[in-house]
Amino acid sequence: MSRAWLAVLAAAVLLPMAVRHALATEIWIFAIFGLGLNLLLGYTGLLSFGQSTFFGAAAYVAGYLLKHYETNVFAALGVGIVVGAVSAALVGYLCVRRSGLYFIMLTFALNQMFYFIAYQWTTVTGGEDGMPGIGRPALLGVDFRNPLAYYVFVAALFLLSLWIMQRIVESPLGKILQAIRENDVRAEAVGYDVPRFKLLAFVIGGAFSGLAGVLYSMLFGIVPLEAIGFVFSGNVLFATLIGGSGSFYGPIIGSFVFIWLSESVSVVWERWPLLLGVAFVIVVLFFRGGCVEAWARFWSWRERRRALAGIAQ
Amino acid sequence: MALLRTESLTKAFGALTAVNGVTLEVQAGTLHSIIGPNGAGKTTLFNLLTGQFPPTSGRIVFDGRDITGTPAHRIAHLGLARSFQRTNVFPALSILDNVWIAAFARGRSWRGLVWRRSDGYAEVTERARVALADVGLADKADQPAREISHGEQRQLELAIALAAAPRVLLLDEPAAGLSPDETQKMVALVRGLKGRYTIVLIEHKMDIIMGVSDRVSVMHFGSLIAEGTPAEIQRNPEVRRAYLGGMVAE
Ligand SMILES: Nc1ncnc2c1ncn2[C@@H]1O[C@H](COP(=O)(O)OP(=O)(O)OP(=O)(O)O)[C@@H](O)[C@H]1O
Ligand SMILES: [Mg+2]
Repeated sequence: MSRAWLAVLAAAVLLPMAVRHALATEIWIFAIFGLGLNLLLGYTGLLSFGQSTFFGAAAYVAGYLLKHYETNVFAALGVGIVVGAVSAALVGYLCVRRSGLYFIMLTFALNQMFYFIAYQWTTVTGGEDGMPGIGRPALLGVDFRNPLAYYVFVAALFLLSLWIMQRIVESPLGKILQAIRENDVRAEAVGYDVPRFKLLAFVIGGAFSGLAGVLYSMLFGIVPLEAIGFVFSGNVLFATLIGGSGSFYGPIIGSFVFIWLSESVSVVWERWPLLLGVAFVIVVLFFRGGCVEAWARFWSWRERRRALAGIAQ
Repeated sequence: MALLRTESLTKAFGALTAVNGVTLEVQAGTLHSIIGPNGAGKTTLFNLLTGQFPPTSGRIVFDGRDITGTPAHRIAHLGLARSFQRTNVFPALSILDNVWIAAFARGRSWRGLVWRRSDGYAEVTERARVALADVGLADKADQPAREISHGEQRQLELAIALAAAPRVLLLDEPAAGLSPDETQKMVALVRGLKGRYTIVLIEHKMDIIMGVSDRVSVMHFGSLIAEGTPAEIQRNPEVRRAYLGGMVAE
């Protein structure tokens, strides 16, 4: 097992001892959301500004089932994953043939469209008030109303998601998506139907977003309208960029930084998103690879200093 | 029988007819060169053959099958592989991955696409390594493509086409931008491929063409103005007037 995996495992065990259980749970949920985005952003080179479409759609549908029918947890998760994947297929189908700014704007515009559906359809979604009253039905005798039990469940699902995503990026598909990111004309010329592969990346990313959305609705017992709004799309994007979209583990670090910042700073400073903006600018200007790159650079700087010190002696 | 054939192939970009009624036959196993001055439409002809864009009119027949209008990725699966005049690789990927991607596509099987680990595809990796060895890049396999020299990128460009195990190899000025030394190496390389593949070669440098070609077609302002053996082409007065005169003086 690699060192990165050991670090992730250690974090999963230690986190609930360090912070509130709900916060710890939210970090892993957001990390799943980020993993899904990064398949598009980091691997395929598609900047989707509409990931909350899949997150929110899954949260509403599964939340509705949980609320009104107290569905089995796994059934709710399964439905959420399918809703995430299907909504992503729909959005992806309309977007994959566009590129650059058009692509970004279109993902954003479609996200807005879903947002307004949720906003208007108050009988189901509760509109601005959100959809409250979502429970966490027990599973195999485990009571998920206990925060620690729910934390363990989410952390386990995160690890499973991480493993699945690792298999995906290490498969031929992972290489093909990166090839498309690097040079889509050549990828097409050597035999890949580029729009179709981009669509596949959307669907997989949407499935992960859907899973995250359902877990989120169960965590807070409510689907807030923002869950399908552009702020959520922006949050996961910023978090992933800050963590490092060029790295497989970047979204996890991004999730830690983002959720921790929003928790600790937002209480003392209402305008904390400003800080997020500053962090984003720093990343874009100096550390395109986000925290992962900053960390790697710090280490090589230290090594060099050590080596110099060695020579000086 | 001709392996690759075009019938009155035409491509117009607005008012400009880049390829104009080209009828061409490439015999299996030969090296067929296409020459012509800048802007003659040679690259556009390749773009048509590989399905980059559809022709305005005319037909393309590959191995007895009409492939006119077939999208680029399907044509690649049929066994038509090309290299590009302007180096067109995957910069951040390793040299091996650059070639692996092409080798995998030619396998025409999507089995294990999202789940099997890519290092488990032994035959694909083997084909990729052979292609790298063919162009002399075997020892650079793990370097990112963006870190190698221009000359090596030209070799990689060729390796990507070879990795597809093509039935027809379309080479668009493989020696573009190379030093005289590197050009020599590239010529030797192409000569080594002759006989193993059916090759269509676009080239500017006359000495290369005359030494390696079985047949030569000359393009001028989008049209074919002559075709024959290298010796016939050199003697052809129309070719000399349109094109060779300038080149020979160079
Ligand atoms: N996609 C395009 N859109 C518009 N015009 C184009 C396009 N591609 C090529 N052309 C034009 O078609 C003509 C033929 O270009 P082409 O690249 O095929 O020439 P070539 O014979 O390959 O020249 P060179 O020897 O310089 O590579 C040129 O005038 C070029 O500007
Ligand atoms: Mg050209």
